[in-house]
Amino acid sequence: MIEVLNINKYFGEHQALQDVSFTIQQGSITGLIGPNGSGKTTLIRIMNGVLGANSGLVTIQGIDTSRETEKVLAICGTLTEQSGLYENMSGRDNLLFFADAFGLKRATERIDELVHLLEIQDYQHRKIGTYSTGMKKRLGLARVLLHRPSILFLDEPTNGLDPDGIQTVLRIIRQLNTELNLTIIISSHVLTQLSAVCDHYIFMEKGRVVEKGTEQEIIQRYQSAPRLEVEADMPNGWKTGIYSPETVTAHTATYQLSSREHIPLLLRQLTEHGQVYQARMEGNDLESIYFAIREANAHE
Amino acid sequence: MNNRQAIRALIRKDIRSVTSSVQLWLPMLIVPLIIGIIVPSAMLWVASRVDLHSISNLNVVLDTLDKLIQSGQMPSLATMSTDNQRIVYFLGLYMFAPLFLIIPVMASSILTANSFAGEKERKTLEGLLFTPMSMSTLFRGKVLAAFIPSVLLSWVTFIIYGVIANILMYPIFGTLMFPNWNWIILILWVVPTCSLAVILLNVLISAKVRGFQEAYQLGGLVVLPLIALIAGQATGMLMIGPWMLLGTGAVMLLTSFILLRLVTMWNRRQQLAESQI
Repeated sequence: MIEVLNINKYFGEHQALQDVSFTIQQGSITGLIGPNGSGKTTLIRIMNGVLGANSGLVTIQGIDTSRETEKVLAICGTLTEQSGLYENMSGRDNLLFFADAFGLKRATERIDELVHLLEIQDYQHRKIGTYSTGMKKRLGLARVLLHRPSILFLDEPTNGLDPDGIQTVLRIIRQLNTELNLTIIISSHVLTQLSAVCDHYIFMEKGRVVEKGTEQEIIQRYQSAPRLEVEADMPNGWKTGIYSPETVTAHTATYQLSSREHIPLLLRQLTEHGQVYQARMEGNDLESIYFAIREANAHE
Repeated sequence: MNNRQAIRALIRKDIRSVTSSVQLWLPMLIVPLIIGIIVPSAMLWVASRVDLHSISNLNVVLDTLDKLIQSGQMPSLATMSTDNQRIVYFLGLYMFAPLFLIIPVMASSILTANSFAGEKERKTLEGLLFTPMSMSTLFRGKVLAAFIPSVLLSWVTFIIYGVIANILMYPIFGTLMFPNWNWIILILWVVPTCSLAVILLNVLISAKVRGFQEAYQLGGLVVLPLIALIAGQATGMLMIGPWMLLGTGAVMLLTSFILLRLVTMWNRRQQLAESQI
């Protein structure tokens, strides 16, 4: 379990983090969401102990990260935006170097395992300078997994990747979480990708945590009046009981409801009078919620 | 965690980074070649074969040697019968000694600037800070990665210079003149301690700057006292003797201890990480 308690961090006069507190459960995938400059990367560096906070406390499995940084780093893997790989060395030589830096025994076996897991067999002997961004990300992931960490910090892991690369990285993240029960913290501002892997979210704005919880919890907080788009065949028209649609086309209608509790009632009435094929809530995706949260915190 | 394994890995990686960059290894070969081999060999060859009084500028040096004999600073010169013998002896065993110190100073500066400021510049230092390697392991590895090649380069140049100096001096003196105690102390004591001090100074500088060039230029200021030493030796104002060399090495070692304290104080993991941002 990771516990972050009242963290404040200044760079000179600038306050990068302001009274940040939250808890992350073991085995969860948490998305750290916020615009550029909101303090995500600083927070990750403080969480793994590499950067010091001006006040507050971070503990990972009960270990104070600022006091026992080496112990913490031995159980954490951190992938930053810069892959931190040596361009003049081959992918495999990079892994061999970091295996020694981590003090790994039987490094070759572990490297073979990771090369297979991350599918980097074909280019492991090529110099990093010739790698594409996607290849570097995969090798970077292999590097942070070398010492079998139980916690992964991934800072913008899909930045600069093509759609195939994004899918591969997300697949690997899911696989690591389900097969090895790794606790994963992903910082990103590409929200559609995060909703595919994360089960918890922490929203940050100007160095503060402005929202946290599961996707459902956050949606419930921010979507008091949902809009529902329904696709159906309604031979006798769309007006049913107390519900009148806002917009209507041949097979779709949009209803503005006063609360989530009205959704099952409306659907029940529609199915009684016609054939309902699908219903979709508008503005309940992570991106809409993100903007709603930013809007709500814009004037604070 | 296994510190030796990490230190060995750091040394291998840093040396490899130098050998794979022509910008780094070329000056490290050219400078010793010119300062340690070509220039001394050429000067010794000329001094051993040419009528010295025909070269007008050399009268200054010959006057210096006369003064040294009269003041009793170099009694061995008085026993020599010709000016050629005196000047070859002076050049071969005294004049080039301080010049030789440029080799470890230059190599140490380049290697350390590449090792610390270079890692910062290439954004790879943070990757090292994310490993559970202790800061003392990181610094030991980095210092050794600069120290070993720097000292080895000086020693190899010394051996080649020694062979050439003896080849040129043997016909004049009829015996192997090189090395004398000055050179032995210089190579085994002053070169290692001087390298260590320069490396640690560069580590301090590298921690405060952002790139290799900046670190190398600031680190290059160390050459200034060396130039003063060379000038002092050439004009006879300052004759380097074994005791002076032992003292110089001791001062370098003391300086290293002080620098080491500052390095450990100013280069904690969190401070290094913050300097990256």
